[in-house]
Amino acid sequence: MLRFLLRRLLIAIPTLLVIATLAFMLLHLTPGGPFDSDKVLVPQIQRAIEARYHLDEPVWRQYLRYLGQLAHGDFGPSFQYRNTSVNELIAQGLPVDAAIGSAAMLLALLLGCATGLIAATRPGSWRDQLPMGVAMLGISVPVFVTAPLLILVFAMRLHWLPAGDWVAGSWRHLLLPAVALALPYTAYIARIVRSAAIDALGQPYIRAARAKGLPPHRIVLGHALRPTLLPLVSFLGPAIAGVLTGSIVVEQVFGLPGIGHLFVTGALNRDYTVVTGITVLYGALIIGLNLLVDLCYAWLDPRVRDRA
Amino acid sequence: MVAALALGACSGGDTAAPAIGAPPPGEQRLAATQVLRRAVDAGGMRSIDPSLSTDVPAAHVLDDLFEGLMRLGQDGEPQPGVAERWETSADGRTWTFHLRAARWSNGEPIRAGDFVYAWRRTVDPRTASDYAEALSPVRNALAVAEGKLPVAALGISAPDERTVRIELNAPTPFLLSLLTKSYTFPQYEPAYRAHGEDWVRPENMVSNGAFRLQEYVIGGRVTLVKNPLYWDAAHVRLEQVVYLQLDRAAQTERFFAGDIAFTDSFSAEQTAWLRARLGDQVVSAPYLGNFVLGLNVTRPPFAGNRALRMALTLGVDRETLVRYVRQGLYQPAFTPTPPLPGYHAPVPAWAKLPEAERHALARRYYAEAGYSAAHPLRVEMHYPTDSDNRRTYEAVAAMWRANLGAEVEPYNQEFKVQLNERHLKQQALFHYAWIGDYPDPLTFLQLFQTGFGYNDGGYSNPRFDALMSAAGNDPDAARRLDELAQAEAILNEDVACIPLYYYATRHLIRSYLRGWTSNIQDRNLSQYMYLLEHQDH
Repeated sequence: MLRFLLRRLLIAIPTLLVIATLAFMLLHLTPGGPFDSDKVLVPQIQRAIEARYHLDEPVWRQYLRYLGQLAHGDFGPSFQYRNTSVNELIAQGLPVDAAIGSAAMLLALLLGCATGLIAATRPGSWRDQLPMGVAMLGISVPVFVTAPLLILVFAMRLHWLPAGDWVAGSWRHLLLPAVALALPYTAYIARIVRSAAIDALGQPYIRAARAKGLPPHRIVLGHALRPTLLPLVSFLGPAIAGVLTGSIVVEQVFGLPGIGHLFVTGALNRDYTVVTGITVLYGALIIGLNLLVDLCYAWLDPRVRDRA
Repeated sequence: MVAALALGACSGGDTAAPAIGAPPPGEQRLAATQVLRRAVDAGGMRSIDPSLSTDVPAAHVLDDLFEGLMRLGQDGEPQPGVAERWETSADGRTWTFHLRAARWSNGEPIRAGDFVYAWRRTVDPRTASDYAEALSPVRNALAVAEGKLPVAALGISAPDERTVRIELNAPTPFLLSLLTKSYTFPQYEPAYRAHGEDWVRPENMVSNGAFRLQEYVIGGRVTLVKNPLYWDAAHVRLEQVVYLQLDRAAQTERFFAGDIAFTDSFSAEQTAWLRARLGDQVVSAPYLGNFVLGLNVTRPPFAGNRALRMALTLGVDRETLVRYVRQGLYQPAFTPTPPLPGYHAPVPAWAKLPEAERHALARRYYAEAGYSAAHPLRVEMHYPTDSDNRRTYEAVAAMWRANLGAEVEPYNQEFKVQLNERHLKQQALFHYAWIGDYPDPLTFLQLFQTGFGYNDGGYSNPRFDALMSAAGNDPDAARRLDELAQAEAILNEDVACIPLYYYATRHLIRSYLRGWTSNIQDRNLSQYMYLLEHQDH
């Protein structure tokens, strides 16, 4: 087990290196630089600015410098936000996304699992078709439609909740963005859980449990749940990484200072360090969470454990 | 607008000052809580350091935090700020400002040296400010920025603690307007000495405006509170100003939700819909910016082909464009400089032709340029991606197709890519809109001077350059404007670009918010605003 862990962690290093390199190269290949603007620049000042950020050096030197910083956990200075490091930007934005993302994930898991399991116990009945129809709607309707709708109803018509803004620790500000973000994930989770549960409920050991006369809720929760969770867990790894690093749409609609918008404005403004930094962070999260997923797999499924 | 007039009486003078918190004459009662929540466009605010900031959202915040020698009046005109009076030398090149007894937010007196320090810091190459060029009218500013002269050579000095002397390269009639801008604000040197560039963080900042900085979230909320030490604090009614950085759609939503009282912009396409619902709360007024198509006159098909350039500019139906594509928000443009007080921009004679005659003339020029139905003009028109732009470009291309038979292909590119290719003079026909830096024709006309850094069309005409240079050195303000108008007439004669329309400001403003006025620079200082009693939404 320990060897498995170590090997995975060692593989993570070259993977991150490739991610950082690709992001760095692609950004430097994009036309237009961080300090191009439609306002006038004295060439000497342009050079002074570029020298400040080492943009006057050959690209390979910039690349090595960047890798050196990365090795020390330093994402470098932001180009668009003067005197602000990318680490600071992430430290400021990530908690916002993490709070909304984890609330959304929790909500999606609770609602999605419950709906999926209920639907799986009577496939084809109204208890299956109604929630699955709603789930299909949840997947098809994009967040940029649901989020403004939520604002329209709960903020503009009913005045129950604020239409946006971010106040750390305030559940009222958290609720609407979290629900908006949770809806599509709830739908995905419900569908995954349903099909996995139907599969699990058809297994011989479930038939055996039924034959022994176990009540339905004990069959579902005690015997069918574990194998049902397997496909869900592999979905959750990348999903959690995505949710934690911010949804640009949710951030924009609710006006939240997360890192999703930093990433987008960073790309538009050629803020090389911000874009590379967030990409590497995202990559690291995916690698970390996938590792966690594999560990969960081993715990959930004895067959996987034996092979490892 | 009535409210604005009522308040105008007390913002300029010092005799009719009502007691703090009292409503101005003839007004309803003031709201008990004077907290203004206003929006600025998202994604732009990069720094609130007066030496470094170049973006519009930060300029709004800086207007509230700091004050220069002059401050922007409620009417948009410069009026005495930290300086209470000033004199100009006969040649218009030396200005002497006398400071009032004003204080920093930490109680220290504002000294003339604080201005000298701030200006030197802006042009110091070590500061690496991409706005150092803005001080270029000041003597030696460019040489200092280029590192050829020490910062002490900059044309600003402090003969004593309450006097600032400014020496200019040329008579600069718009100097007072420049002195309201953020890059001319004073800075408190000890704050920078102690904290370096971190001096702009809320815990370190010392400022001198009507408000102090309380909270600054990058990409999020910026909260200001009233500065009781501001010299004119008696006229400031707002206790707190909260700036929210939101994109256009979110600004409109939050306005409807009753969350913000003043938005920075709304989508032009929504104008009619918003007017139907919000009535007078939809506010639009002329803005110091033009929407122009650039023509590269150094490469085919436009090089040496004035007839073709004439055909294209004649072939655009600006009234139709403004009315149907821009929902009547903007004013049609026939010359680059938007309307400015005292300036008579030369409008080409063809602008008054009836549509049919104009089209006929356009087709004549098109034929003269060597094009026909069998051999149509084929060219790409480059513009930065933005749904608001796309409609304009599609409409213009359609007009050229219908009126001339030209095959112009609108081609959208990401903003920085378009900018880059434009600067490299790789584009023949391109988006060339410009927002003026100060209310003077020079900011628009200099784009066409030979060798100017952002003359992306490569236009060059010695007669134009000579008039620009004559105007630049003319101490007589009226004659100077006349010379600029003559220069602009040459641009129009040569068809150096194709003006389409002038921009307009677009705000949603709650009817209970008073004290703002529309001005051409679209700068609205919170210090003049106040809230009337109202029902919460």
